[in-house]
Amino acid sequence: MKKVIMFIIVLFIVTGCENKSENTLNVLNWSSYIPDEVITSFEKEYNIKVNYGTYSSNEELLAKISSSKEGTYDVIFPSDYMVELMREKGLIEKLDTTKITNLNHLNPLFLGQEYDPNNLYSIPFLSTIVVIAVNRENITDEITSYNDLLNDKYKNNIVFLDDQRIVIGMALLATNHDMNDTSIEALNDAKEWLLKMKKNIKAYDSDSPKTFLITKETDIGVMWNAEAEIAREENENIEIIYPREGHAISIDNYCIASSAKNVENAYLFIDYLMRYESAFDIVAEYPYISPLRIEQKSEVFPGDIFKNGYYVKNIGSRMKDYDKLWADIK
Amino acid sequence: MKKNNLFKAISIIPVIIYSITLILLPLLYIFFLSFQKNDSYGGIIYELTLTNYFTIIDLTYLKVFLKSALIGIITTVLCILISYPFALILKNKSSKVQNLCTKLVMVPFLTNSLIRTYGWIVLLRKNGVINATLQALHITNAPLNLMYNNIGIIIGMTYTLLPFMILPLCSAVFKIDKSLIEAAKDLGASRMQIFKNIIVPESISGVFNGSLMVFIPAIGYFFIADILGGGKEMIIGNLIKNQFLTARNWPLGSAISIFLILITFILVKIYQKLGGKMDDLGGM
Repeated sequence: MKKVIMFIIVLFIVTGCENKSENTLNVLNWSSYIPDEVITSFEKEYNIKVNYGTYSSNEELLAKISSSKEGTYDVIFPSDYMVELMREKGLIEKLDTTKITNLNHLNPLFLGQEYDPNNLYSIPFLSTIVVIAVNRENITDEITSYNDLLNDKYKNNIVFLDDQRIVIGMALLATNHDMNDTSIEALNDAKEWLLKMKKNIKAYDSDSPKTFLITKETDIGVMWNAEAEIAREENENIEIIYPREGHAISIDNYCIASSAKNVENAYLFIDYLMRYESAFDIVAEYPYISPLRIEQKSEVFPGDIFKNGYYVKNIGSRMKDYDKLWADIK
Repeated sequence: MKKNNLFKAISIIPVIIYSITLILLPLLYIFFLSFQKNDSYGGIIYELTLTNYFTIIDLTYLKVFLKSALIGIITTVLCILISYPFALILKNKSSKVQNLCTKLVMVPFLTNSLIRTYGWIVLLRKNGVINATLQALHITNAPLNLMYNNIGIIIGMTYTLLPFMILPLCSAVFKIDKSLIEAAKDLGASRMQIFKNIIVPESISGVFNGSLMVFIPAIGYFFIADILGGGKEMIIGNLIKNQFLTARNWPLGSAISIFLILITFILVKIYQKLGGKMDDLGGM
């Protein structure tokens, strides 16, 4: 009996090891970002098995990367400020751009951004900005700025992203401060603004704010451009507005995790996604703004996103003040 | 005899390993973390400090605690109000019916509570089933705000936690000797008097037991506050989650967790003082 059990255990161990064949790639990406078909056709073409995991915030990505064994993940997609932070913490590797043949497909506007000035660690994958989406069936007023949303008429009729940096950043912009201001005075202004806004906010939701507009739960939403554009596909009366004060901009990037085990496959994967066809398939499904020189699905002109656009930046220990403010306004 | 002991040892080892690795060690780690500093990148500086506990004592956070407690208390009271009639009606039924009904209470547990919470959106939203029905029947003219506020949170909490009140309360009520009630009736007691003087004192242990099991999760179930409260209301659960996932301040999150565990301990102690038995908390 003992022998049988031992045999079974050994069998498990052996087969367990076998699964770690050479031709795999471990990808950790945002949820709802790359259509399944794009991944499967990559797997077919190169005969590489892709283990695909997802996360829903940069902080979750950071937690996953720093708490798992080195080499667990190969390709990850941190946003701008997270690229900077992961580089400082040594969590991502320098890229060998000679291995990316489709690098010339990139629109140079997206290169050399402040979070990685020489693109040594990151190549832009997709970008997005925060916009205001308004259902024109019910709201006819002119809306050009975040301050217009304070109108008493919109009581309980707005959905915001459930993201403290974006929402507080927006309040800071609306009160004439820098989006990453950490001074007490600026944060007090932002707090007051958000408390005034509170009566108009129906919900904070980052998972699917578009649903609020599609089901007519609210007539106004502040959300990422792709969400707004998907909502407009469902309801043509939805207008997308670019707030006068400026908008938050976010660029997600290809990065290779330090001590990645399948580096060659990682480059193949990045190169594959940088083909025009792959990029087009991706934006056709999720209308974010591609940094490649393709025909965009989004109405946002790629060159425009940087005008009046502001990045979320690392604010170090001042994050505590933001977090407290967030608890205050909820 | 010897063989029997060996079997016992073998069957108990997995439970011990499970409890140590998945419950005890993480708790000790959280306890340890709560006395550390955090660096600005969300890392941990291994340096003993009480800062995290001082941070909690702040009006902002105390307000969150107070709001959580209020939601917990309302949920608990609602659960008691719904469970008593249920238990009393079932008491007079045959044991077959009793068994069936208490089992039915357990059925929703077969579905993930997150999914059930999403189900409530379909019922409660502006153009949802309840509002559409009310308007079609001309009971209301405009949609009621049933969710994305405290009402939504309380509906969700009460729904999710109700079985934890029904089950212990039923077991307490079913145990009450019928002859006691008959005797009271013979002596001319009104229904209210029977309830007040016999049923409540005899089943109060079940109420305590249920209250404990409803109140504690009710201050921690952040996903219900997020989904049905529209992320507008913060309870202790959200506060802890934020420290770990957005603020990158694990030591503070740990300190709040320890604080929550402390509240639980105090409540359990009160429960014991009132004559509750720990065995009853283990379930039915």
